[in-house]
Amino acid sequence: MINTIYIEEEIAKHPRTLAILERFPDASKITCERYGEIFNRKAQNFRLQKKQPALILARKHKGRVLPSPKQYAIGAEHNYYFSHMLNCLYDCRYCFLQGMFQSAHYVLFINYEDFIDELKSISDQHINEPVHFFSGYDCDSLALDPVTDFSNTFLPFFETEPNALLELRTKSTQIRALLKREPIKNCVIAFSFTPDKIAKALEHKAPSIDKRLNAIQDLQQAGWQIGLRFDPLIYTDEYQRDYLELFETIFSRIKPELTHSVSLGSFRLPRDYFRKLEKLYPDEMLFASPQAEENNNIGYPKDIREEMLGFCKDIITQHIPGNRFFPCHEMI
Amino acid sequence: MVHFFCALPCEANPLIQQFKLTELKQFDLFRLYQSKDKQFTLTITGIGKLNAASAVSYQHACLDTKASDIWLNIGVAGHANLDIGEVRLINKITDGQDNTSWYPQIIFDSPCKQASLITLDKPSNDYQETLFDMEASGFYQMATRLGMAELIHCLKIISDNAQQPTHTVNAESVKKLIAAQTETIETIAELLVSQASEMESINAVPSHYAAFVERWHFTQTEQIQLLRLLRQWTVRFPDKDVIASVIKLKTGKTILNTLQNDLNKTAFSIY
Repeated sequence: MINTIYIEEEIAKHPRTLAILERFPDASKITCERYGEIFNRKAQNFRLQKKQPALILARKHKGRVLPSPKQYAIGAEHNYYFSHMLNCLYDCRYCFLQGMFQSAHYVLFINYEDFIDELKSISDQHINEPVHFFSGYDCDSLALDPVTDFSNTFLPFFETEPNALLELRTKSTQIRALLKREPIKNCVIAFSFTPDKIAKALEHKAPSIDKRLNAIQDLQQAGWQIGLRFDPLIYTDEYQRDYLELFETIFSRIKPELTHSVSLGSFRLPRDYFRKLEKLYPDEMLFASPQAEENNNIGYPKDIREEMLGFCKDIITQHIPGNRFFPCHEMI
Repeated sequence: MVHFFCALPCEANPLIQQFKLTELKQFDLFRLYQSKDKQFTLTITGIGKLNAASAVSYQHACLDTKASDIWLNIGVAGHANLDIGEVRLINKITDGQDNTSWYPQIIFDSPCKQASLITLDKPSNDYQETLFDMEASGFYQMATRLGMAELIHCLKIISDNAQQPTHTVNAESVKKLIAAQTETIETIAELLVSQASEMESINAVPSHYAAFVERWHFTQTEQIQLLRLLRQWTVRFPDKDVIASVIKLKTGKTILNTLQNDLNKTAFSIY
C-alpha cells in the first residue's frame, strides 16, 4: 500500500507519471525538485521507513547503464546492469540495499526511453558479441511490474537486439505481463531462492518458495528461459539438509533442461553495509552468524564458505550441465 | 521523550495544561517546561525561524535529549482558504527565503490531513494554497541534526485565511484553536512514541558492557568491537553468562578473540 508519492517537478506531467498517479488516487502527492532531497537525506532510519515506504517518481539523469562486476557474469564477456527502480517491496534481512541507501522509499525512474537509448548504444558497441544486461540489482525487477509497466516497455526493445540478453532478477510472482506475450529468446527470468525455513525467517513479505516455483513452472510452460540464483547461500548447522531439500524440490518441479543458468554465492556484504545493518537490526540472528572480515567485506569464515559452495556445487551440477553453472568467485 | 516547541505562550498554554507540565526555572534563555515523569517537555521558542532553531538547540543542551526522542512543532498558520481551526500535519516545509525544502517522513496513519508549508520571515496576508508560518523551517532544520526524520514533525492549526486575515487573530483565539486540537496532538505523539520505543530498544547497550569496561582495559576501537560482540552474544546465547565464560582472561584483546571464536564455533541456526 502506497500512502505517499513524491513527484519530481520535471516529470510531473510525463504520461507514465500520470498513469501511475491514477492508480493511487488516495495517496498524498508531494512535489519535489530532485528525488535526492528526500532519498539521500541523512537522519533517516531505514527500519522505520520500511514500515510504510513512499513512492518517489523521478528522472534518472546519468549513470543509467553501468558495467557490472565480472564475478556476477553468466557466460558473456560484456556485462552491464541498470535499475529502473531503487529499493524493493520485500524486506529480506540480508539485502545490501538496506546498507547502501539512506531511505527505504521506492524510487521509480520513469524516463524508460532514456534507459533504452543507452542500452541500445551499448548493445551497438558489441554488435557481434554477446552482451548481458542485468536488471534487479537495486530492486526486484518484477515485484511492482503491474504499476511500473517495466516488462512491457523493455522486452519489445530487447526483442530487436539479438546480441543482447536481459536478466530479470526477481522473487516475485508478478508474471502476468510475461505470460500475456510471446516469450523472447534473449531474456532470462532469474529467481532467487533460499531454503524454505530460511526464507520464512529472513525474506519478509516475499512470496513463498512454493509460489515462486509455481511462477517458474508457468513461465517454463509458456516457453520463457529461467535462471536459478542461490545467492546468498545462508549458513546454519543444518544447511546441508536444508539446501539438499531445496534443490530436490526445485529440480523435481522445474525442467532443468530449460534452465538457462544457475549461480550461487555465499552471504557477504561490504564491511560498512554490514555494520549499518547490524545496527539497524541488532536483534537479528543473521548478523550474529559465524563471520570473518576480508578485503573490507564481511562474510562467513573461509572454511564454512568453501564447504558450503562445494556442497551446493556438487548437487547443482548433478542436475545442470557445468557450462550453465556460474559460482560467484568473490573473495568473500 | 516527546518535546513540544511552540512560538508563543498562547500556543503553549493548552499543551502545558493537557500534559501537566511545570516550568524548569533553572533555564532562562528560553522557557522550558517538563512533565513530572519527564516524558514530555515544552519549549516556548519566540517568533521566527532563528528563534525556533536556537530553542531546539538550547533544549537539547539543557535536557540531554536522545536521537530516539520525538520533536513536535505545534502552532498556528495561515492559508488561503482552509477554515479557521482546521489542522494539518506538514509533509513539506519550504524556507521562503532561500526556497530550500524539507520533507517530514510521515510513516504512520495520520489522524489528520497533510499539507505543505512555507516558512516566512514576516507575517503575510498574501495567502496561497499552502500554509504560512514563521518557525517550521528553523525548527526542522535543527531538529533533524539531533533526531530521526521519522520522529520530527510539524502540526499546524489554521488561525487566519483570506477571509479572516492576521489582524483578526489574538492570544485568546489562538489558545482556543490549539485547545480544540489537543486530542489530535496527543494521538500523533502516541503514534510516534511506539516508533521511538522501537528505536530505543535497538540502540540499547548490552547489560554486561559496563562491567566489562570496568574490569578490563579496552582501547576505543576495542570498545566498539566489544559492544558489537556482546550484542551478538546476547542474540546467540541469551541464557549464558558471558562474564563467566571469559572471567579468567587477562586482556581485552583475548576477550574479544574468545567471544568471536565462541560465536564462530558454536552451533548456529537462524530459525
